[in-house]
Amino acid sequence: MRQLRILARVGMETILGMRKSGWSNWLVIGILAVALTIFGGVLQLTMTLKNVVNAWGSQLEISAYLKDGYDPKAIAREISQLPQVSLVEIVPKDVAWRDMQSSFRVAGVNNPLPNTLHVRLNSMQVVEKTANKLQKIKAVEHVRYPLKVARNINRLRHFLELAGIIVTGALTTATLIVIGNTIHLVIEARQREIEILSLMGVNPWYIKGPLVLQGAAYGLGASLLSLIILFGVNIYADSYVREQLLSFLPLLPNNMEYGLLPTFIILLLLGVAVGAGGSAWTSGRYIKV
Amino acid sequence: MIRLQNVNKDYGGRPALVNTNLNIGLGEFAFLVGPSGAGKSTLMRLLYREEVPSSGKVFIGGVDITRIHARQVPLLRRRLGIVFQDYKLLPRQTVFDNVAYILRALGVDQSSINRRVTSALCVVNLEDKAKAYPDELSGGEQQRVGIARAIVNGPPVLLADEPTGNLDPQTSLEIVQLLERISSRGTTVLISTHDQFIVNSLRRRVISLRNGEIVSDVDSGTYEMEVKVATP
Ligand SMILES: Nc1ncnc2c1ncn2[C@@H]1O[C@H](COP(=O)(O)OP(=O)(O)OP(=O)(O)O)[C@@H](O)[C@H]1O
Ligand SMILES: [Mg+2]
Repeated sequence: MRQLRILARVGMETILGMRKSGWSNWLVIGILAVALTIFGGVLQLTMTLKNVVNAWGSQLEISAYLKDGYDPKAIAREISQLPQVSLVEIVPKDVAWRDMQSSFRVAGVNNPLPNTLHVRLNSMQVVEKTANKLQKIKAVEHVRYPLKVARNINRLRHFLELAGIIVTGALTTATLIVIGNTIHLVIEARQREIEILSLMGVNPWYIKGPLVLQGAAYGLGASLLSLIILFGVNIYADSYVREQLLSFLPLLPNNMEYGLLPTFIILLLLGVAVGAGGSAWTSGRYIKV
Repeated sequence: MIRLQNVNKDYGGRPALVNTNLNIGLGEFAFLVGPSGAGKSTLMRLLYREEVPSSGKVFIGGVDITRIHARQVPLLRRRLGIVFQDYKLLPRQTVFDNVAYILRALGVDQSSINRRVTSALCVVNLEDKAKAYPDELSGGEQQRVGIARAIVNGPPVLLADEPTGNLDPQTSLEIVQLLERISSRGTTVLISTHDQFIVNSLRRRVISLRNGEIVSDVDSGTYEMEVKVATP
């Protein structure tokens, strides 16, 4: 009961304190919302692109041409034991030959085609390694795979990951600085009051609590604002982005879209955590008992 | 209730208190006097742990407060009522809210707050100013708010560092008499001052400091400010 009253009191102090900050509250929330919106947008974009890249990559396959005299089924079984392999498709030489004859009408020649295995992987990063491994199998004559495409896909993925990390780091730092400065200003404006409270024997956490909550409120407000912006942008940009992607990627997977909900949750948590954390750090630094 | 044991306090090598021993019992009332720079405020700050001594021990109610953890300092300060020369009231809060602040921070329920704040304001005779803001009050009235705030949590010890420093002689006397009345109800009261008029009017215990040393300590004493003679 007593704890509840103290909690309510801390909440009230927070509201009173924020009321004193006036328009600067909205300035801080605005700046944070911009940062969080950029972060959310980049997150959304990188995650979507990553899905696209992954889907695209999963359509890549390694073709392994087998020497005559080996059982393609046995080799396929052996290859499918590899952990990175998701699917092995056997194209027997007869089938391949029949297909070819139906389109080219070559006659009177013995079937020159090898048995072929189409190997699909569950990760694009291992295409080259796996290809080399397959090459070493005795029954395999040679392997073929789109090397350049595989390399480009991997490079794009790495780039997206790096960009995501850099943007997150930069914006989190910027957010921390904005929150820290704001709370520092509040502390400075209330310096005398804080000193009085400390001399009266008010617990330090009771003095810092409202400031931490103020930071958390900034983070909450800003993340809600950025959610609204992102939601709006999503409605308009979604179909456009999809069209653009379709124009150079004809085989677009259906569920390439990275849902908004995870982004929303991440933004909310990040906003509140950074807001509360930034102001907790600042109050710890500038408020001594 | 208050005890100093071989206390020394230096500020960057310059001594502000030298080998100080002092004992003030439960419910006692004492003046701490001395010229400017004698070390009165320093001694007070040691008592509410705004400073720690360079050496020696400081006891409040039997506890050596030089050894308590920083986390326990707020608890110590709530057991002391502290009154300041500059009142240190929260300017944007009413008289009532100033006095009620610490009780609210401690989660005391509303009806107890009302009762205790009203009774504290009653002691200092300011019930009718509960809704006023500090800048609407005279210096003497502001100091009475400061005293009400100091006693609202029922502390066993009341410290006042030059509580009358900014007040005229008549008001000063009223304030000190108010503190004496509070002491008579069992609170240990220590007042620092260099106002000889009030010290001599009350004739209570007088502890004299000079250059950081206690030079006299008498039970019903007086205080004569010495006239400084310029040395060639
Ligand atoms: N924070 C400090 N840093 C350095 N020196 C200090 C500090 N506080 C006090 N002093 C020095 O300690 C000595 C005692 O100061 P103190 O404030 O205790 O005197 P006082 O008796 O309260 O004087 P006054 O009557 O003017 O208030 C003085 O020489 C002062 O300059
Ligand atoms: Mg002083």
